Amino acid sequence: MTWRQQGRRLCRWLLLLLPLAGCAPGEDDGTISFDNETVTIVIPYRPGGGFDRAVRAFAPYYARELGTDVNILPENLPGAGGRRAATKVYRARPDGTTLGIFNLPGFVLPEILGEPVDYDLRELSWIGRIESQRYVLLAAATSDIRTLDDVRALPEVTFLSTGYGSSVLAAMQIMAEELGLADPDPIYLTGYPGTADVLVGLVRGDGNLSITPVSTALKYVESGDLRAIAIAGGDSNIEGVPTFAELGYPGLMALDVQRSLAGPPAMEPGLLEFMRAAFMRAVTDPEFEAMAARARLELAPLDGAATAAAVSGHYTFYEAFKTNLTNPNAR
Amino acid sequence: MLEPLLAAAAYLGQGVNLAYLALGVFVGIAFGSIPGLGGATAIALLLPLTFGMEADQAIILMGGIMGAVSIGGSVSAILLNTPGTAPNAATCIDGYPLTRQGKAGLAIGAAATSSSIGGVLSLAILVLVLPVAKQIVLLFGPPAFFMLAVLGLTSLTVAGRNMLRGLVAACFGLVVGFVGYDDIGGTTRYTGGIDFLWDGVSIVPLLIGLFAIAEMLNLYAAGGPISARDEAGEVRVVGTGEGIRAVFRNPRTLVSGSAIGTLIGMIPGVGGTVASFLSYSFAAQTSRDNENFGSGDIRGVIAPEAANNAKDGGALIPTLAFGIPGSAEMAIFLGVLVLHGIDPGPMLLIEREATIFMLILALLAATLISGSLVLFTARYLAKIAHVDSMLLIPAVITVSLVGAYALHNTLGDVVVAVFFGVLGFVMIRADYPRITLVIAFVLSGLMERNFNLSMTMFEGDWTGFFTNRTSLILFLLTLVALAVPAVQRLRARRNAS
Repeated sequence: MTWRQQGRRLCRWLLLLLPLAGCAPGEDDGTISFDNETVTIVIPYRPGGGFDRAVRAFAPYYARELGTDVNILPENLPGAGGRRAATKVYRARPDGTTLGIFNLPGFVLPEILGEPVDYDLRELSWIGRIESQRYVLLAAATSDIRTLDDVRALPEVTFLSTGYGSSVLAAMQIMAEELGLADPDPIYLTGYPGTADVLVGLVRGDGNLSITPVSTALKYVESGDLRAIAIAGGDSNIEGVPTFAELGYPGLMALDVQRSLAGPPAMEPGLLEFMRAAFMRAVTDPEFEAMAARARLELAPLDGAATAAAVSGHYTFYEAFKTNLTNPNAR
Repeated sequence: MLEPLLAAAAYLGQGVNLAYLALGVFVGIAFGSIPGLGGATAIALLLPLTFGMEADQAIILMGGIMGAVSIGGSVSAILLNTPGTAPNAATCIDGYPLTRQGKAGLAIGAAATSSSIGGVLSLAILVLVLPVAKQIVLLFGPPAFFMLAVLGLTSLTVAGRNMLRGLVAACFGLVVGFVGYDDIGGTTRYTGGIDFLWDGVSIVPLLIGLFAIAEMLNLYAAGGPISARDEAGEVRVVGTGEGIRAVFRNPRTLVSGSAIGTLIGMIPGVGGTVASFLSYSFAAQTSRDNENFGSGDIRGVIAPEAANNAKDGGALIPTLAFGIPGSAEMAIFLGVLVLHGIDPGPMLLIEREATIFMLILALLAATLISGSLVLFTARYLAKIAHVDSMLLIPAVITVSLVGAYALHNTLGDVVVAVFFGVLGFVMIRADYPRITLVIAFVLSGLMERNFNLSMTMFEGDWTGFFTNRTSLILFLLTLVALAVPAVQRLRARRNAS
């Protein structure tokens, strides 16, 4: 076979394959359908964590709402503190087949702290919020700290936290500012590898206070190892524990970590609406709610438009505390 | 305690549950023996399968994988000097020289037996210490973690044949470990502006390079198969039975390996790699007639393999009691538990005794089944060592590079594997210990993080390391590790005179 014949044959094959290109998702008769499609949800962390768990629990229910035989593929893409995954979603084709789960304010903080990032969260096509985990202030149950007044009266405050750039540390710094814990400056014991390590450190007595998302903390409070002092949000879900707002610190109500789903910027409006509607049906599906309760997800569904507004709200909130968020242990 | 144990045993004995266990064991051995895949990948892949199962069935399936992975990994460590999983790396030190001497059967026999017995011993220890598990975990704060890392590095460096070369390799390992984002200082180090290096160098491509690729390069340079055929040109695999007997002839090595494995496993965040290396260096330092360690001493296989499986039992304590995973497998296993409504934490040990026994039994059964499987198939597996290098090298390098890529689906990991492959080859030729580099790399993060945390806790006063009780004990053990070679030399000189 000559080169020319081989070239013709290759062209014929390519022509045969042409209809397959660009067929995701189908839009026959103007109706959008993901039937038999694969949708990838990029997870910015390794398997096993809260974000991974939320996606894997949610995926089957979302797949059902998107169409028939839709395959949702959770893809763990850890790297550069989540930036690798965020950048992948930001640069993906806006056809709805690549989505990502985002950590808020975790992904807002690098921009606030002046670090270079290759994405702008405000440009993403927000599909909806799955979870919102409120922060709770904790002390060891063996300590004498019972109220916020006890905290303010401490001669020395040592906060336990994960590393610089984490939303846990940012939440602590904002709380210290709001409570006026500046004399002497609190010691920040940062660098614990995860929030569970922070809580064990608190039980052990490495320091005297910490702040973590409520679902991680609750089991230690229930076992009697830790004591909850105050919780963020509008109302308390731990019996006998007041909210920061009830104690006169409404500025701390917004301290939380949210898990929201988004697609690349500039998704076609009809497609985005379709995906948002499917999201809301899946996230409010009683079967999923039962599954989420078992898996201790803190469901706080929010539609796409409201999620986009919440993202902007995070920028405003953390921007206001920018000067307090410098690295406490920078040498 | 007996009632939930019997109930768990009866549940495990049901046909469908035994099938889940067998599936777990099969997947565990297969994924364990292929470098780069490992137990974490196996659990993540099978996770969606568990959605339709009862929680206890999911635990049985995952227990099957976790109990079998390390045995699968030891086979490739012994035959190809390629640790299937990171904790198997210590097995290479003496396992591979035995293969080269035509004693692969001996090494596999000993590895499978000591793994199984180590696993059983550790689970027995686990049942005994469950009531005080929380207190043990709480003993280890940042100062103790730092001293533990110092002890690990010291004992491994002095256990080598040439301490200076060991120190050079250890320093290089530390430097590689410091690559990436330092979340205490808030800066990136040695990344050269490459985003990929932000999270540091991953252990899996590093191990694949240092062992699998380096070994294949070395084999290419030497030519011929790993293990020579006998005079008649026949492939003969013998010694599996001898390997089993060797384990029982060295009860001290077996028990100390299991104890070290269980203890290190219990300490959250330290992991199986440290457990198997510490167990190896303990055996190398304290055994009589230890001059053959590093060149094919069967005790050098028994010690790390016993520790390797024993650490799984120990690692259940921080995983279940505090939700702190002791290893990558445990991290994903935690996710499986939570998805099935089982919340790891301080209450679990009290509230769900039956669940814990179910997991212990599944691990126990998986350890025994996978050990027996490897023993029965050792004679066939060992023939890999007799395959001609021109066939073996492309196959191993392909699997290794695919494994490196599969870890995070990134080409960067393949580049890391190739870089360390070349470095490993140079180290083999120049006789520098690759294992010391690995252990320093593994310990670097633990060491640095806990040094910084401790110094902040002590407000800059380093004497705090000696007022903390656990840290002081570990410091004294470090001094003992430093003194042992000198004492042994003195004793040898006295005996000679």
